[in-house]
Amino acid sequence: MTARILALASAFSVCAAAQQLQSSPFNGDKESIGAGRAAYRLRCSACHGIHAGGGRGPALNRGKFEAGDTDLDIYRIIERGVPGTEMPAYGARSTEENIWRIVSYLRTFEPAPEEDVQGDAQVGEQIFWSKGGCGACHRVGRKGGAYGPDLTRIGRSRSVEHLRASLLDPDDDLPPGYFVVRAVHRDGRTTTGIGVAFDDFSAQLRDSTGKLHSFLREEVRSLEREYTSLMPSGYGESLTADEQLDLLAYMKGLRGREAE
Amino acid sequence: MSKPYVMAGALLAIVATSAGQVDLGALARSQEDNESWLMYGRNYSAWRYSPLDEINTENVTGLVPAWIFQSGVAGKFQTTPLVHDGVMYVTGPSNHAWALDLKTGRQLWHYSEPVPEDLPLCCGKPNRGFAILGDRLYKVNMQATLVAIDAQTGGVIWEVESADYRVGYSNTVAPLIVKDMVVIGIAGAEFGTRDFIDAYDAETGERLWRFWTVPGPGEPGNETWGGDSWKRGGASTWITGSYDPELDLIYWGTGNPGPDLDGSPRPGDNLYSDSMVALDADTGQLKWYFQFTPHDVHDWDAVADPVLIDMEVAGEPRKALVQANRNGHFYALDRTSGEFLFARAYTEVNWTDGISPDGRPILIPGHEPTDEGTLTCPGMGGGHNWHATSYSPLTGLYYFNSGDGCQIYHGAPQEFVEGEYYLGSAMENVSGEPREGSIIAVDPTNGDTRWRFPLVSPPSSGMLSTGGGLLFAGTMEGYFMALDARSGKPLWRLQTGGPVRAPAVTYRFQGRQHVASAAGPSVMVFRLGP
Repeated sequence: MTARILALASAFSVCAAAQQLQSSPFNGDKESIGAGRAAYRLRCSACHGIHAGGGRGPALNRGKFEAGDTDLDIYRIIERGVPGTEMPAYGARSTEENIWRIVSYLRTFEPAPEEDVQGDAQVGEQIFWSKGGCGACHRVGRKGGAYGPDLTRIGRSRSVEHLRASLLDPDDDLPPGYFVVRAVHRDGRTTTGIGVAFDDFSAQLRDSTGKLHSFLREEVRSLEREYTSLMPSGYGESLTADEQLDLLAYMKGLRGREAE
Repeated sequence: MSKPYVMAGALLAIVATSAGQVDLGALARSQEDNESWLMYGRNYSAWRYSPLDEINTENVTGLVPAWIFQSGVAGKFQTTPLVHDGVMYVTGPSNHAWALDLKTGRQLWHYSEPVPEDLPLCCGKPNRGFAILGDRLYKVNMQATLVAIDAQTGGVIWEVESADYRVGYSNTVAPLIVKDMVVIGIAGAEFGTRDFIDAYDAETGERLWRFWTVPGPGEPGNETWGGDSWKRGGASTWITGSYDPELDLIYWGTGNPGPDLDGSPRPGDNLYSDSMVALDADTGQLKWYFQFTPHDVHDWDAVADPVLIDMEVAGEPRKALVQANRNGHFYALDRTSGEFLFARAYTEVNWTDGISPDGRPILIPGHEPTDEGTLTCPGMGGGHNWHATSYSPLTGLYYFNSGDGCQIYHGAPQEFVEGEYYLGSAMENVSGEPREGSIIAVDPTNGDTRWRFPLVSPPSSGMLSTGGGLLFAGTMEGYFMALDARSGKPLWRLQTGGPVRAPAVTYRFQGRQHVASAAGPSVMVFRLGP
């Protein structure tokens, strides 16, 4: 451990004991930022991207953050998670120092312009519930179906690029828990649905009507898990480029207000 | 009390204690002791094979629970229970352990010690089991201590620190008893520690020898580390080794060099990381080594069971040591000399064109982790990782599990900070390609895969083979199951309700064969009904 890191860690301990820090004590320190990047890649990169460019989770390399822009805002999100989203709380799994190191790593990115979508969100909303047919499977607030993922807060948890990729190629990145199970019966009939559980001896799935099916492998001819989406893949053709932008603008604006 | 009564009482106490004791002879004969399970790998050769055949391929469907012990402790149960003289000794995660009445599963005592809050850990707080000698049990604690426990009371006899946990050391290994010594490994490579194998006096806890798995300056092998990178070289030893009493050699596998994924700070082969080392039991001196993955940049520890089999290889009788290595290959070595005999891939491998006659991998360029990432198979967990394996002399097959598939390896320079992760970057799953696995049966004499039982998730449990022609194993989804050891066909299963992360053990109690395994936070014991 270098003397500089020791001094920083010591200063951290004194500060942390005295009061809740408002900003990371490791900002600007190369070694701590390197450790923060290592911790980020271990804990955060699976959702936010190896270079923090976003993915299943929002981009974190733009210098702006959903929950607020102070170091303490970012710290609290990492510590406590975001209830109702896939963002877990790391407070019990990480030291305070390590969380501050991650904050300092995220602070190394230069602020970038906010992602902008040149579409009309109001038109997009109409497309969502009519031409697009999205509401048949997706819920927004208290409206819509439950076969696909709930999109009430999707604008907070997904980057525009991720939303676009999911719209045009639903297989691009399946959300956790949305694999497909296909059971072929002994008479050749097929039952397909969203997998609820899948193991070496059985599978449980929910079909498009919401009905639960449970199969043992020995009861059917085959039981397969597929990492493809049941969402239609033709939105690149069935929607015009402008309609796609309108739909993305609507989804980007879905930030949970409808459910509140 | 008059004097004669005192003497008689003392004599009775001695007789009672002796009846419960496990001496070195009992350990040497453990393979023949069907009433007990006395060490991690069941015998010094680490076979995990029991000749018991009351439960067999014909009647295994009649298995029913005898009892279930609910520990109430959360975490990964990876323990190999020890069984002796009517008692089962079980270690759990987070420094917990229990003695259980073999007849009923009722708790006889509970040992626990807090895990320090500032203990840096990579992989949870598991523990893989006790060792037993005399009337004492030995286990490691997470904070890199070794503790001797009174088998009758659960009381602590002594506890010694093998390394400073604050800098990244921790421990999870089941100790191995060799000649009045307690031999242990250590963990910590993910935090840039320099690791070792230790032997302690079983009576006093005094350390008798230490073998550094990363040689220091002036020692052979130190030249395989650029600069002072040896100080943070890792090469952890977190799975129990084996022992050949005739050759008087201890065999122990070593883990990855540090940092895991960035090889630039440590140019060279990085001895003795990812190696099998053979140590003189009395002195801990290195007799030979074999390095499976020189200059590893994929975190392919070579800690998996070193299993000792006397067998014919290419028509010649050999005292062999076999290992299913995390780099995707099954290896056979001559355990008298470390001579490489052969290696065969058992899962998808894209980083090598095979293993050369001298045992060195023939590298395919383009598999060094980069900032952008490189796709390499197997993934970081292997291949076969650490889970206990089994060799059945009945079938002549060697059983182990394997994680199958690829991962994207990212590498980047990282400054070393004591007590912090020192990985040199991270792993990424391949989109749309779930990590799966399999249980594999291999002919150890040539590496041929005889059968493969596919798993929908990366494997979680160890193996147990029996004289009943059965292979017991479990799954992440909670199934405990018996397969036909000759064909891999599933014959019996039970959904236990918790991931099976441990290997099963078997023993005869009150004339009946029992099979026991941890599942979730419980220990489950089965026998034929009613």
